[in-house]
Parts: sequence; C-alpha cells; structure tokens
Amino acid sequence: MDVKPHDEHIQRLYARWLDAATKTGFAASLCAFLLYVSGALPPYVAPERLPELWGLSVGRFLEQTGAPTGWRWVALMDHGDYLSLAAVALFGLITPVCYLRIAAPLLRHGERLQAALVIAQTVVLAAAVSGLFAGG
Amino acid sequence: MPRVAPLLLVLAYSAPAFAAGDSATPWWIWPIALFAVSFIIGIVAVLAGVGGGVLFVPIVGSFFPFHLDFVRGVGLLFALSGTLAAGPVLLRTGMANLRLVMPLALAGSIASMTGAVVGLSVATDLLQIALGATVIAIAFMIWAMKAADFGVVESDALGELLRLRGEFEDPAAGMRIDWRTRRTAAGLAAFAAIGFFGGVFGLGAGFANVPALNLLMAAPMKVAVGSSGLIISIINSSAAWVYIHRGALLPLLAVPSILGVMLGSRIGARLLSVTPAPVVRRLVIAVMLLAGARALLRGLGIWT
Repeated sequence: MDVKPHDEHIQRLYARWLDAATKTGFAASLCAFLLYVSGALPPYVAPERLPELWGLSVGRFLEQTGAPTGWRWVALMDHGDYLSLAAVALFGLITPVCYLRIAAPLLRHGERLQAALVIAQTVVLAAAVSGLFAGG
Repeated sequence: MPRVAPLLLVLAYSAPAFAAGDSATPWWIWPIALFAVSFIIGIVAVLAGVGGGVLFVPIVGSFFPFHLDFVRGVGLLFALSGTLAAGPVLLRTGMANLRLVMPLALAGSIASMTGAVVGLSVATDLLQIALGATVIAIAFMIWAMKAADFGVVESDALGELLRLRGEFEDPAAGMRIDWRTRRTAAGLAAFAAIGFFGGVFGLGAGFANVPALNLLMAAPMKVAVGSSGLIISIINSSAAWVYIHRGALLPLLAVPSILGVMLGSRIGARLLSVTPAPVVRRLVIAVMLLAGARALLRGLGIWT
C-alpha cells in the first residue's frame, strides 16, 4: 500500500498536539470549575440560584440574570462561572491550533493540496470563533 | 460492551426518580449526576462513532430539569470534547485517518454553518420528523447489509489525487488491514449534505458519518467509526462558538459533562481496537434507532 512515511509523521504530530491541548483544556476546566463551585472566585450567578433559572429558555435566562452575549463575557473572567466558560471555550480553539501546526510540515513535504485544505478549514473555524455566524 | 447500553438507560431513567424538577434537591447533585451519565455515554459514543450529543441531548433533555436550550449547548460541547479526547488514540492506532478526514470535514463544516442559518427559519417539528425518519431508515439499511467491510477497493481519480488510503493493525481480527476509498465526489457531497442537515437539526450527525464512510466510500468499519469521531471534533469546533456567543452555555452543566465524557471516551477509544467489528456495527445500529425514534417521537409531539 502506497502510504508515505510523512503521512504517519504528520498524523502523529497532529495527535501529539491534540493530546496536549485536550489535556490542557481538561486541567483548565477542572481548576476553573473547582474555583467556581468552592466559592474561591465569586460567581456572576450563584450556583444556589441556578435551579430556579436553568429551566428557562436562554432568552429569559439572559433577561433575568443580565448575563452577556457575544464576546462581552471576557470582561467577567474574574467570576468563577465565566472563568469556567473561558476554560470550556478553549475546546473550541483546539482544532484550529492543531490544523495550523501541521500546515508548515505539509508544505515542506510538497502536500500543497492538503495544506490548502488545512488553511481553508482554519479560515472557516476562524470565522466561527469571531462570531460571524452566531447571529447575535 | 453491549451491556453498557442498558446500564445507560437505567441511569437515565433513575435520574427523575431522585429529583426531576424537585426544588428540595441540592444543586450539587446535578453536576455529579451529569458527570456519571456523561462518563458512560462517552464510552458508548466512541464505539458507535458518534459524538455522543445524539445520546446526551435526548437523555439529559428528557430526564434532567434543564431547558433544552442549555442541553443543546452542552450537548454540542459534550460531543466536541469527547471526540477531541478520543482523537489522539484513534489517530495513533490508525483507526482515524487525517488525510481522509480533512476534505470531508471541510465540506461538512461549511455546509453545517449554512444549515444552521437555514434551520432557524424552518418549523422544528417538521425537521424532527424528517430527521427521525431518515436516521431510522439508514439504521435499517445498515442492518440489512451483511457485508460492511469491502476489502481493498479501486480508488477513483479524486481519491487518488487526495491519496485517500491507509493501513491499520486490527488486534481484534489479528491482522494488518490495507484500505482505499471509492466514490470520493459522492462522499464529499454526502458529507456536505450531512453537515447541512446536521446544522439544520443542531446535531453533530455522527450517526450518518459512519454509513457514508463505510457503505458509500468503502472505508473499513473501524476506520469509518474512528474517522467519524475526528470529523465531528472539527465540525463541532465551529458550531460550539455559536452557542458560546449566544450565552447558551452554563458552566455548571457544561464542565462536569465535559470532564465525564472525556474520561469515558478515552476508555472507549482503547476498547475500539479490541472490540470485534460486528459488535461495533450492532452498537451503531442501536444508537441510530434510539436517536431516530427519539427525534421522530419529539417531532410528532409524543415524547417532548
């Protein structure tokens, strides 16, 4: 079977970065969540209050709590719940980071078509991260 | 491994017994329950080649007191984190193939965002009925087809250009398996369609990825299951940001679910290489029937 050696190298490189980034996301989520539920960092919405709010639609929840949309939550990262949200958001960045990592090796091995796919996918993901498709 | 499925159902059905909507239940019970359910779903999801959102959303949406808006948001992150966690093992063992995944994920993610925009303007009930009927039909189609592993097929021109081929060691079969895919253009179209409808329905649509890879493109079942997981991780990365930007993610629900599924899916990824292909196939069928029935019943207003 005509499988080139650099295919395996690039696949393993992607796997290594994916592994490290996923473990980082896991550790960050766990730490931020412990700071949140232990009360070490003050929450924007107290966990004790959530049982009366989590049955509401998102729209009504936002009305009742004044919670932010778009990128405005970044300003609230000194609160335990929004620090946890930031940790969770890291998972949405892992794929673009791993894709960018393999772009240069692909080009170095003359894989222009694969590199073009990687760049196109990164552009799509970057558009999503920017909030272009969030519609509010 | 198939015994995990009944356990999952028992856990899900026991949830309302100790608290559905009961205000006397302390808030911290729910994150713990979410962690336990997510851990088990994480194992099953990897073996079935789905993100797990298709199990998480109906189970948690039905048996926990959270609004479906938040369950959907967590379900998407759930599928994303579970497939990301399983990815390294799947890639190292050759069960997932990056070269195969990249063009299909690109077609799927562009179509998925288009579908999400379209989905906002179509009646949800109608969409649910269409989704349920489609998924059940595909499950029966796989069930009826006895031979799901095609051996080495002849590549088409586009497949040759993209060099969609690979090899992996199958410890369950005790042999090294070489594979190629066929019908690449049809495969890209199928993943665009799956991505589009996944975006419309708000699901990762991993249950459709596996038959598209296996039946249409002739990827071996284990490569189809493993690569499906990686495709979900890429497509859901873009969709996750829609929920984050809309304020539809509650960290108290999201974090325990993510931690649970990540631990579970790592175990699932290791089990995938030693689980016989027929068992994986039966699990895929069971997951699809469950998800399809749930969507159909929800669309008909019978199980909302």
